Amino acid sequence: MDRTIRVMIIDDEESARKLLRAGIRWESLQMEVVGEAASGIEAINVIDDYRPDIVFVDISMPFMDGIEFTEVVTERYPYLIIIIMTAIDQFEYARKCVSLPVFEYMLKPMVRAEITKVLERARDRLSKEPDHWEEVRADSESTLLDDDHPIEHIRKYVEEHFTDPRMNLAFVAQRFGFSASYLSRKFKQDTGRNFVEFLTELRMEKATTLATAHEKMFCTAAEVGIPDPNYFSRCFKKYTGKSYSEYVKEKGSE
Amino acid sequence: MKKSGGRSLSSALKRIILLIVFVILLAFLVSIFLITDNERRQYCVRESESVLMTLSDSIRSNIQSYAELSRLIMTDDKLVEYLRAPESEIDLGRINDARYAVMDILNVKEGVDTVIIIRNDRILFSTNRFSYKFDLERLGGTEWDQDIRDARGRAVVSMNANGVAAKPDNQPMVTIGRAIYDLYTQKQLGTLFMNISSAVFERMLGSLRADNICILGEDGTFLAGNRQVLSYGPQALDIHGITHRDIVVEGRRMLLSGTEIDGLPIVVLCVTPYGTAGTPYRILTVLIVMMLFFVLVVFGMGTYITKHFTRPVYELSARMEHNKQSGDLRKIDLDMPYSELNMLKGDYNDMIDHVNDLISTVIEKEQTLQRAEMRVLQEQIKPHFLYNSIETISFLALDAGADRVYDALETLGSFYRNFLSKGDREIRLEQEIRIVQDYLSLQKLRYGDVLEDAYDISPDAASFIVPKLILQPLVENSIYHGIRLKGEKGLIRISAAMEDDVLHLTVRDTGVGMTGEQIEKALSPNREQGDSDTGSFGLWGTIERIRIYCNKEDVVSIESEPGEYTEIRLTITRGG
Repeated sequence: MDRTIRVMIIDDEESARKLLRAGIRWESLQMEVVGEAASGIEAINVIDDYRPDIVFVDISMPFMDGIEFTEVVTERYPYLIIIIMTAIDQFEYARKCVSLPVFEYMLKPMVRAEITKVLERARDRLSKEPDHWEEVRADSESTLLDDDHPIEHIRKYVEEHFTDPRMNLAFVAQRFGFSASYLSRKFKQDTGRNFVEFLTELRMEKATTLATAHEKMFCTAAEVGIPDPNYFSRCFKKYTGKSYSEYVKEKGSE
Repeated sequence: MKKSGGRSLSSALKRIILLIVFVILLAFLVSIFLITDNERRQYCVRESESVLMTLSDSIRSNIQSYAELSRLIMTDDKLVEYLRAPESEIDLGRINDARYAVMDILNVKEGVDTVIIIRNDRILFSTNRFSYKFDLERLGGTEWDQDIRDARGRAVVSMNANGVAAKPDNQPMVTIGRAIYDLYTQKQLGTLFMNISSAVFERMLGSLRADNICILGEDGTFLAGNRQVLSYGPQALDIHGITHRDIVVEGRRMLLSGTEIDGLPIVVLCVTPYGTAGTPYRILTVLIVMMLFFVLVVFGMGTYITKHFTRPVYELSARMEHNKQSGDLRKIDLDMPYSELNMLKGDYNDMIDHVNDLISTVIEKEQTLQRAEMRVLQEQIKPHFLYNSIETISFLALDAGADRVYDALETLGSFYRNFLSKGDREIRLEQEIRIVQDYLSLQKLRYGDVLEDAYDISPDAASFIVPKLILQPLVENSIYHGIRLKGEKGLIRISAAMEDDVLHLTVRDTGVGMTGEQIEKALSPNREQGDSDTGSFGLWGTIERIRIYCNKEDVVSIESEPGEYTEIRLTITRGG
């Protein structure tokens, strides 16, 4: 195992994410925390960027909880190692999802020694497998080049369907028979833009229109396919440089 | 079946049946007696009447024949001549002529005691002159032959020659009297009396072979037969036609019958004892068969009622009793033979339904309440909140470089996680050990170097399922009632091993130890209420829980040397 294993943490509690990030000695496990997400929605949007090997998912999250997220993700990324974190009062709920291919359930509050043990097991499994993100990229190069303008079709499709909160790169790739990494590269090559950026811009454009119409933020967020208002507000600020409320105020005064 | 209060149906039924049987028997016996008695009396009556009629006829015809004889005498020439002769011509010779003429006629027939011929001038002779004495004074009058004169020549039967002549011993006689007339002048010439000997009657009785008959004159004078019979009934004098009367002689019931004989001053009495003769066996047989039949019917009825009414009621009652005893209120599914009993059963089942409904309502309420209470408890615990808080504080500690704080928080989190353990009541022993380890490491933070712990757990014991929190209270007890009181460093050693599928668990501390009294108190199954706040309640309560879990008393032993150590040994079987 020569590469560093990528780990992503999905938990609505910031301190929980930070604690996990800080409490474990990742480098000694040949691991690295590559990203965090505060909700399932956010995770879906950013997972293609982070390309993690292991995901820690908290069961109880708003907008899209750990179970729903796991359902979506196991379908699109079957090789992903999913470690579900749950407090006792949600354990029964989590157990209902035992049919999902989850690597491990861990009870909160977690103890470092236990986490480390689980991660060592995960590392052992990963060491026997190739990097699926890379592999997918490698074998899909030649297969689907027949279509003259596949990216045009995809653009059109995304423009029509971007309000679906489950929409992301892997979803579209799967739909059109590409691998996610191929689509990502091809998309950038053909349009000169990142797919994730393209999708976010589409949503934000609509969001600004709605903001101009004085729509409430959480409504706008749901309308444009990012029903997590926290993540939405971050995306919005990144896109416009202003918070949603500032934007609405500005537009209102014009 | 014991049912208090009132007579039982079956015993009442038995009594009624016995009463009915008794009444039937009584009625039948009375009717048998009456019918038998009546039949026998009727039989006697018929017998008696037959005898009496025969005898009467016989007497009458006999008297008739004597009357005929007297007519012959009356018309005898020599006698008539003698009677016609004037008084002056009467001498002994003529009298004897006449007497012999009469006697010649009498030779034809036996049984005539004497014939007396009386002339109008009262000169008389008799064929048996010496054995009679004559009442001459009466003869001088006119009364004695009044009836004879009135009969104008027809035979008149009377007694004792109308009182004119009597035997010296006053033996009664039946007399046939006639007035004798002159055929030419139609004037009465004299009077004839013919006394008939009682031997005639005796002979008649003899020919009948009857010893229970007595022949009397109408005035009650004895003529012939059994003189004893006369003593039974002076009432015979009231006889008109045939009369019967029941009498008792020497304890025997008899029928006394009497008849007068038409036209004769003679009465016949007859005594017949009631015998078995005349018993109506056929009727009796029918009656007895009927009686047996009725008795059988009654018993059959009793059995029928018992089978179809009393027994179902008892069965019903037994099932109700069973329900009461077992506390399991089930509906009764017996088949009742009658709609009334089915009604009773239906009502009872409805009641059971209702009661069960009520019970389940109560249980449901209780469960709801319990669930609500559990919810409240869980709400109070809010593990999610607790863990998130612990995580947040952990991060703060980690961020500030306070690694020991972070370690402590992690232990606390782990302790609570195992402590709550998903709400399970039974956990693996290793989990319990984790609880104890976390608990002790937190306690060590408080008490520093005073505590030391050691574990000796065999792998098969580690996975054995035990009730949650059986070790932690013992360890707590070791700290607070053992080591802490001693004031010096102490060791708690926990060992576990399996032996024949039984977990042997030992907690040994080097504390102050326990006195015999304390040990006894901790092991006593019956703790008094007042003790609940004293010392080692946790220890006692834990032992009780293990007893309940293993469903036996003998689960624990405590060994201690005061000032040296305490060792609590638990033996835990698989819970049932």
